[in-house]
Amino acid sequence: MAELGRAALVVTLGLCLYAVVAGSYAASRRRRRLALSARNALIAAFGSTLVAAAVLAAGFLRSDFSLTYVADHSNRSLSGVYKLSAFWGGQEGSLLLWLLILTGYAALAVWINRNRTRDLVVWVTPVLAGIAVGFSFLLVVVASPFAVQAPPLDGAGLNPSLQNPYMMSHPPFLYLGYVGLAVPFAFAMGALLSGRTDERWIVATRRWTLIAWTALGIGQLLGSHWAYVEVGWGGYYAWDPVENAALMPFLAATAFLHSVMIQEKRGMLKVWNVVLVALAFCLSLFGTFLTRSGVVNSIHSFSQSDIGPWFLAFIVIAVVFSTTLIVWRLPLLRSTTRLESLVSREAVFLYNNLLLVALCLTILWGVAWPILSEAVRGTSVVVGRPYYDFFLRIFGLPLLLLMGVGPLIAWRRASLRGLGRTFLWPFVISLVTGVVLLVLGAGSSIPGLIAYTFSAFVLAAIGLEFVRGTRARRALSSESWPGAFASLIGRNRRRYGGYVVHVAIVLLAIGIAGSSAYDSVVEGKLSPGQSLAVSGYTVTFQKLTERDTPHAAEVRAHVAVSRNGKDLGTMEAGKNSYKIAGPAPQVSSEVGIRTNYLTGEDLFVIPEQVNDDGTVYFRIFVKPLVNLIWLAGLVFLLGSVIALWPDAREQRRLAVRYDEAGSPARGQ
Amino acid sequence: MSLAILLGAALAVVCVVLVALPFLREPDPASDELDELTPERRQRLALAEERDRALAALKELEADHRAGRINDEDYRASIGPLRREAAEALRALDR
Amino acid sequence: MARKRSPARLVIALSIAAVLAVFLLYTSIAGGGTPSVKPSELAGRTGTVSLVGRVVGKPTGDSHAGGLRFRLRDVKDPTGKTVAVVYTGSVPDLFATGRDVVIDGKLENGTFVAEPGTMVTKCPSKYSATKPAAQ
Repeated sequence: MAELGRAALVVTLGLCLYAVVAGSYAASRRRRRLALSARNALIAAFGSTLVAAAVLAAGFLRSDFSLTYVADHSNRSLSGVYKLSAFWGGQEGSLLLWLLILTGYAALAVWINRNRTRDLVVWVTPVLAGIAVGFSFLLVVVASPFAVQAPPLDGAGLNPSLQNPYMMSHPPFLYLGYVGLAVPFAFAMGALLSGRTDERWIVATRRWTLIAWTALGIGQLLGSHWAYVEVGWGGYYAWDPVENAALMPFLAATAFLHSVMIQEKRGMLKVWNVVLVALAFCLSLFGTFLTRSGVVNSIHSFSQSDIGPWFLAFIVIAVVFSTTLIVWRLPLLRSTTRLESLVSREAVFLYNNLLLVALCLTILWGVAWPILSEAVRGTSVVVGRPYYDFFLRIFGLPLLLLMGVGPLIAWRRASLRGLGRTFLWPFVISLVTGVVLLVLGAGSSIPGLIAYTFSAFVLAAIGLEFVRGTRARRALSSESWPGAFASLIGRNRRRYGGYVVHVAIVLLAIGIAGSSAYDSVVEGKLSPGQSLAVSGYTVTFQKLTERDTPHAAEVRAHVAVSRNGKDLGTMEAGKNSYKIAGPAPQVSSEVGIRTNYLTGEDLFVIPEQVNDDGTVYFRIFVKPLVNLIWLAGLVFLLGSVIALWPDAREQRRLAVRYDEAGSPARGQ
Repeated sequence: MSLAILLGAALAVVCVVLVALPFLREPDPASDELDELTPERRQRLALAEERDRALAALKELEADHRAGRINDEDYRASIGPLRREAAEALRALDR
Repeated sequence: MARKRSPARLVIALSIAAVLAVFLLYTSIAGGGTPSVKPSELAGRTGTVSLVGRVVGKPTGDSHAGGLRFRLRDVKDPTGKTVAVVYTGSVPDLFATGRDVVIDGKLENGTFVAEPGTMVTKCPSKYSATKPAAQ
């Protein structure tokens, strides 16, 4: 079956090459049937990639160890669902997943748009196919998942720390995000290639961008949650280059999501938007490169692999291609509208964009500097936490504040006096909150206090928006409060969905501030019967138990927890020693986490060292508000779903606009 | 093994058919030209977008005023120019 | 109120200047990152560095009581000189002989004294060109 898999990938490569060549020719010479043929080739490429993926998946499910890749990442005793997730557990398989999602998205995008924007789609096809050529080339020539060998008796198995539902879902979500950015990129390039200066490409890809962006966000949260509960050092984000690899395109995409709104409302920033979408996509390629090439010193770091130079070439081609196109079409894209006032919603979006891009670029520098330093000076450096923390505060805190300012300011021009009245309540509420928190001791961390105060401002501003909007609707239609609220959101899904997403980001900020600026830690060696106290909790070490399973020797320390005298029950935390061949067994910490659902606080018990004499060295954290981070993920999803929800009225309006202008959209 | 070859061959055939389909369906079409966006259409598109923008801006202004985000003075200052813009955009499109 | 030049350009220019200024200020004060060195390059270096190496021999001691002692060699040079390291603080689970680690610290009297808690180990190959041991 490996030959079928390999053949299917070759077919994909061939189809995509055809789609690039024939598609470009058809678009420039306006050959209708050839354009259709190229489009069909792209759709067929999804089919053949699906065949290749099915072969690999079947190999895993049947434990076919004649496939080297299957043998390297799975074994007989692995449970079914993890056998499937081992598909993307390694280099070749994850590249195949990337290609599968890419061709799937591409097929869907060109199919959905087959009767509209035909002059755009004829260019979108070769661009998407070109990206697919890159990945399928890598899979066919450099990193094939279908290498065969004499089958060993059993496979190497999947790293136990990866056998976790969060780690299982983290890559697919991330890829849905990374790859999803290719579609707005292709449409933007298509618009440039066809010489269009209108916003059709933005309208066509709005949902794609939002879905990709949401997936990227959720994917990162899943990864963070895995790091928190499974890796167990007490944190959820380490500014590791591979983590940053996903954050950078996310920030660029966030900026893009906002700036397209300006183009929609005012016709401005056309050049900025194409630059941003190209940046977001190139960063997502860069992120994929970082994670695979072994070029960075990272805890995720994988040994030097052959794929690095190819990927770098791929990225360079993408950057050169988009830059050339943008520069070529620059004269066309100049807009005549000007920013009227520095105090307007456009201006606030502009500041938001500047801050987001600044943060994105400083993270990029932090990731690239060690690589450049090694290449240029021969010595490498390590860029640590303090660098990232500093810039996160400098750019992130104003961004947080802006999230509350934006919704309250009108488009075009807002008068300062009017602003004073609008901002009065949120300002007062945040001031009071700040003072109260200061009294309660939050002054121990100034950035934390600022974060909390700004968060209060934003929540008050958004709450005010909802109240005002509902009240205005009631005045119009005399519905009940709940009815007016529902119809307010229903009629302005993008706006109010966006506000809900802002609330999610605020919750995220509060969770991060609480758990990093106001956490407490205590550590020490305990014999049975001894305790450690932290932040009101008392943790008493009771006993050690051992359990032997076929996979691992599990040692657990049982502790009793009480808070301010009240008994809260017991917890377990320990270490698993996995029985694998090699000089040392693989050990993982199984931390104990006790969540207080009322306050969002976690008691985090790490058994750092289990000594032979029966004592255990514990490290115990109390992390306030950390669960708001995970809650934020759910709110984030809710907001996105609201914003994505199809709006029949808007669809009609857009259809009228594009039909009327006589776009080549009629069916054939 | 032979199953693999069979499936592979089937895949290849399906792909070739799909790619050739437009030519098979219309061996001798009346026109093989792709619809192009003429300059006149581009102009209309730009005007249509401007019109939609002007109308949306008016609607937003009304909504902002009703909800209290803009006070009466700012509202009065802005409504005139916006209405003029919208009227101009509508007129340009009708031409 | 017609403006000759869009304030947007001014704002963008000023913001970029501000960002650059902040950035340059920070890096000149806090430095451009900690130098990353291999055990063979360590001799004679003063100041805090980030040491990257592979653990050789058997570690002794307790990182929470007196310090964990072990030796590191260059990852890519099996015959190179080794360096003695003393480490206090949390030890990652993956730490073992033969694993690659990164530690911050400085050389003092021939021994590399680590800053507590700064050890990072690399995940055993996820995307690796070499095959992990089969059962």
